Amino acid sequence: MDNKIDTGDSYVIEGKLALPYTYFAGRVGSTFITTIRDKHKIMGVKCNTCDKVFVPPRQTCERCLEDIRENWVELGNTGEVVNFTVVRYEDKHLPRKVPFVLALIHLDGADTPMVHILDGVDPEEVKIGMKVQAVFAEKTTHTILDIDHFAPV
Amino acid sequence: MSEYYGIKVEDIFNSMKDRFRPEGAAGINHSFGYEIKNTGKWKLTVADGTMELETADDVSDCDVVLNTDGETFVGLSIGKVDAMSALTSRKLKIQGDFNTFGLTSRIFQKYMTPGQETRQEQELLTLKKTISVKQRFATGPVFGKFLKGLKDKKILAIKCPECGRLQTPPREACAICRVRNNEWVEVGPNGEMRMMEYCYYASPDPLTGETRETPYGAIGILLDGCKDEEVFWHLLNPEQLDRVKMGSVINGKVTHGSRLRPVWNENRTGSIEDIRYFEIDE
Repeated sequence: MDNKIDTGDSYVIEGKLALPYTYFAGRVGSTFITTIRDKHKIMGVKCNTCDKVFVPPRQTCERCLEDIRENWVELGNTGEVVNFTVVRYEDKHLPRKVPFVLALIHLDGADTPMVHILDGVDPEEVKIGMKVQAVFAEKTTHTILDIDHFAPV
Repeated sequence: MSEYYGIKVEDIFNSMKDRFRPEGAAGINHSFGYEIKNTGKWKLTVADGTMELETADDVSDCDVVLNTDGETFVGLSIGKVDAMSALTSRKLKIQGDFNTFGLTSRIFQKYMTPGQETRQEQELLTLKKTISVKQRFATGPVFGKFLKGLKDKKILAIKCPECGRLQTPPREACAICRVRNNEWVEVGPNGEMRMMEYCYYASPDPLTGETRETPYGAIGILLDGCKDEEVFWHLLNPEQLDRVKMGSVINGKVTHGSRLRPVWNENRTGSIEDIRYFEIDE
């Protein structure tokens, strides 16, 4: 068989796919964000059966499936770094110029850690166990970035 | 007074006037009896878009009578207890027509504790975004030649050297004979309508994300020079969706569909959209 293929007719069509979408935070998620925005308070929800406090808050307990959406508890705006990663690749969906630190932060009073940006510290200086506190954004975006970042205490 | 879910049975009855919806009660003329164990009896009369509630000693003359305990009653009112399961477990008894009792959910707004009301009015957050994804579609030599043909108002098909069948849009190989296709044949551009899919949901164009207007007709056209299943898929002029006649070959019996012709775009770029659509050739 003759494997020589004439590629004279080959060409590339460039395109840009626009995908519009709407993300709904839900009732629980909305309360979480608006409380951060308006009161500078971070709230979790507590499952009374399992005695666990979840943050970010959720409608049902992941362990016993109980409806916990009304059981709001106020958490501290301070916590502890339980793990972290340094983001080193640039991409337009990322919230910061690289390099920056994404940390798992265990807030005081919570039983689950929450991911957020850790700033105000050199990426090389971040330590597990570091005490950090929330720094609230001056301008609201009605998103989780109403906490602008966490910074060492 | 006993409380269930933090609510007294009396709270439910006392709030009925405030929760009454005249528009929901329109056309309903019934009396409803409530017998709540160890708590009391109430009689509710609904007529001509108005309501009247009174405590009563005897409610047996009502059209329907609900008989239950305080916990089940409060649970039903706030949506914590399902009526069907309460009935099967005999915690709830209804004398009279069950469906008549169901009307009360239309007549009243749901009972809400004061805290719940404010939460109902809470601000709900949504985030609207448009993601932009870069796309690159490489035509390859065969599809590229086909698209270049469209630029010159030519529809090209490729022919299988073994079975002789034509494919358009063309593929590099005949998937039946598993050989490379090698001969080009110009077909059409006019042809005959075979079948149409009436599309009510348009998926986005992968190159732009745009969706075409619905409904539209995705049609199979038997272009002149093609035979049997060698149909070409394109669009029909949306104005003609209900006028076009489909064709078929069933057990050798040929039914001819409408004759069609392509409508070419003035400005052609070597794209399948160089043909705007096909329309009835009349």
